Amino acid sequence: MMSILKHKPILLLVGLIAATFVLAGCDSSSSDKDSDEMVLRHALFTKLKGLDPGNMRDVYSVTVASQICETLYQYHFLKRPYEIVPLLAEQMPQISDDFLTYVIKIKKGVYFQDDKCFPGGRGRELKAEDFVFAVKRIANIKYLSQNWSMFDGKIVGLDEFREYTKGCESEDDVDYAREVEGLTASDEHTLVIKLKKTWPQLVGTALADIATAPIAKEAVFSYGKDIVSHPVGTGPFVLKVWHRGSYVELVRNPKFRGEPYPGEGEASDAEAGYLDDAGKIMPFADRVVWTVIEEYQPAWLLFLQGKLDNSPIPKDNYNEAITETRELTPVMKQRNIRLKKFLDPSTFWLGFNMQDPVLGSNKPLRRAISYAIDRDKFIEIFFNGRHLVAHGFIAPLMDSYDPNIKEKGYARYDPEKARELLKEAEQIHGRALPELKMAIPGTDSFSRQLGQFLKRYVTAVGLDVEVEYMDWPTYMEKVNTRSAQMFSSGVRASIPDAEDFLGMFYSKYWAPGSNRFNYLNPEFDRLYEKIEVMFDSPERKELYRKMELLVLEDCPAAFLNHRVVFALHHDWYKNYKPHAFAYGMSKYRRIDMKKRAEYKKLLKTIK
Amino acid sequence: MTAYIIRRLLYTIPIVFGVLMLTFVLFTLVGGDISLEIAGKGATQETIDEIREEYGFNKPLFLAWDSQFINHFKSALTFDFGRARDREPIIGKIKRGVGPSLALTVPMFFGVVIISVSLALVVAFVHGSIWDISAVFICVAGMSIPYLSFILFGQYFLAYKWGVFPVFFSPDLTMAQYVALPALIGIVAGLGGNLRFYRTVMLDEMRSDYVRTAFAKGLDTKRVLFKHVLKNAMIPIITRVVLAIPFLFLGSLLLERFFGIPGLGYLMIGAISSRDYFVINAMTYISAILFVVFNLITDICYSLVDPRVSLE
Repeated sequence: MMSILKHKPILLLVGLIAATFVLAGCDSSSSDKDSDEMVLRHALFTKLKGLDPGNMRDVYSVTVASQICETLYQYHFLKRPYEIVPLLAEQMPQISDDFLTYVIKIKKGVYFQDDKCFPGGRGRELKAEDFVFAVKRIANIKYLSQNWSMFDGKIVGLDEFREYTKGCESEDDVDYAREVEGLTASDEHTLVIKLKKTWPQLVGTALADIATAPIAKEAVFSYGKDIVSHPVGTGPFVLKVWHRGSYVELVRNPKFRGEPYPGEGEASDAEAGYLDDAGKIMPFADRVVWTVIEEYQPAWLLFLQGKLDNSPIPKDNYNEAITETRELTPVMKQRNIRLKKFLDPSTFWLGFNMQDPVLGSNKPLRRAISYAIDRDKFIEIFFNGRHLVAHGFIAPLMDSYDPNIKEKGYARYDPEKARELLKEAEQIHGRALPELKMAIPGTDSFSRQLGQFLKRYVTAVGLDVEVEYMDWPTYMEKVNTRSAQMFSSGVRASIPDAEDFLGMFYSKYWAPGSNRFNYLNPEFDRLYEKIEVMFDSPERKELYRKMELLVLEDCPAAFLNHRVVFALHHDWYKNYKPHAFAYGMSKYRRIDMKKRAEYKKLLKTIK
Repeated sequence: MTAYIIRRLLYTIPIVFGVLMLTFVLFTLVGGDISLEIAGKGATQETIDEIREEYGFNKPLFLAWDSQFINHFKSALTFDFGRARDREPIIGKIKRGVGPSLALTVPMFFGVVIISVSLALVVAFVHGSIWDISAVFICVAGMSIPYLSFILFGQYFLAYKWGVFPVFFSPDLTMAQYVALPALIGIVAGLGGNLRFYRTVMLDEMRSDYVRTAFAKGLDTKRVLFKHVLKNAMIPIITRVVLAIPFLFLGSLLLERFFGIPGLGYLMIGAISSRDYFVINAMTYISAILFVVFNLITDICYSLVDPRVSLE
């Protein structure tokens, strides 16, 4: 042996390789280099799909694109309940007496960012025609926008424009100068929208949605299909670098007009420091950086290293961060980390396909499954007890949420009652109930645990269930083709109005639309058509609650939970007020550079 | 040999055709219609139909000159893979991912091969000793530990706790900096299986008559091991090593994902999870070609290292 070990080259080689790795890898890193700049650093938990506002629906793409492109209206940063306020619009729209015509004045002096698509590379002034173009582009069928359903059948002449585009050879052949009666620019700074029927959510839904954010038509024509990576907007930041799949960097838009930080908010905002920057011109940050981190461990470690400003709490690190009383642990406090808890406008459920021959015609069976699930245990196991039991489907954040919904008992855990209902269900079915199939999107450990949990409780009352785990596209296809029997799913509202939730049960939206339960109740449909054209009022709120009860009585789903977000951020990350409809938020954020520098020193003492 | 090479290259045609057919059948017939997914939530039927038109999903599958399979075949032959679902040209994605993937997998590959072959020679030489038993034990233990555990452990201690390496990719790091730790983890995780394999190969050679003869003639250990044993063990080594080379191109899925390395492994898994058939097709096709080419190189190498092998 010793004679072999005398041949030191082998050992030297191993040592050399190890040394090379250590020297190569030495973490001489990163955030030190930008100590003079105010840089916001965030993680994205999935890859961006594109930055073209007209054709995006995923939350991550919208998060980034909404820093670059702006909408006519936005939800106020500080005020609660959420209030819609002008952004690119000069003021709130003038609405005709019949509620069918909206006249919107556009702010003057707003410029697109400089880009080589403009003559001389200098961005031109934003005009009302740019909004007309944005909506017509969504209507263009060759563009294949995911946002068309928002406008389908709503604006005078727009459906006809869409019909016209069907005859065009390609996206580029469409004549955008073709007139649409209900969508015109009466002058350079005035947009006129004429509706076919009343659409109370026009401002809150469509005109505050990134889909209608103007993107320079010069860029659209110049970049063609590459427009997804060349967004040219009017927002506070411009795209500097996008390493697809790994990193996005925005820098301050030198042509941005500057917006004052809001001076009004909730009563507690001053004490919380959210009004410290009132009246100051935004944005504050020089750069905004997102790193795509699809695994939670590296994101959590980077957060603790101070290389990310904020972070959700990974399930596996929950006990490291949060005590049994739902407060920060001493370890987190030592690092001056702050905790934000807030309601998310979301609901999750185990859905039933109402067109399924076994489930659809057997209400006792559906209710038995609902009573069989212990939601408190579910929330304790999967969400560390953070979430709320969903007694209905309208999320608690909504104005129309019924505070007494729990008393109605639709979501209670009652296995005895479930067993009784199953006997009734068997009689209706005429023989022993067959094995039911449950579709779970995902094959990861969380999905499998979820499937096992639901199966355990449903089988405990005497039903046979097979859980089918599948990738997301397969799951979507199964649900969209109405072939899933039971399916786990959820939704997050995009506006502070429960219409998003109610639309999930309207029979005209059957799968592949948003009514994935394929639920049909003529009385519900009648009420939905009524509330769809009603402006906010106590009467409408009552109708919302009535409609919710209609659905709960029919039980097209076992509603499980509403998400409550626990988010952490470093104390240097300022103006981080939770916002459920948080798009374009980077302009409000500020970094306390002194505190960030202090954290680096603190880390050395902790290590 | 030239005739052999030409003949082997001609064999690639049915192989590549088979690969193209297989990917087409898997993703078009078995995988189902992806139009609904592209259309997004709440899409109208007309939008879905338009997507089918745009992507050619409404064309006949096989029996037409303009069928989906013929178009699939044409795009592969011309290396014009079109655009991915996010509208970026696929070839651009592949070009961008090759560098980071190779930067990670090449050092891993050489590190594992050099270290494991060297150590295998040593432990084979001291076969039966406590050193050999310890090495086998460590190898089995290393093979039993899940790959993910190496990653989590390495990232937590070497990067986060001790700060020797960066935790994650950042564009202001050099490539050497951000691939160092994942490459090191890859080497350590890969040593167990490789060392056991090469040890077995070396042991087979060590027991040969010519080794005993060489020692009997008084040759020194270094000469016997490196000149005779290593050379004669080259056939299985070459088989394992050269056939592993095409997979270097595919990168390392888990390492790239955990360390944010924007390589092809990451691209491939993203494409599979989003059913980006166009990217999967391109990657599978290129991999198949590389595999066939390196298979040929393996055979040529056999004849170079072993005079008993002739290519006819």
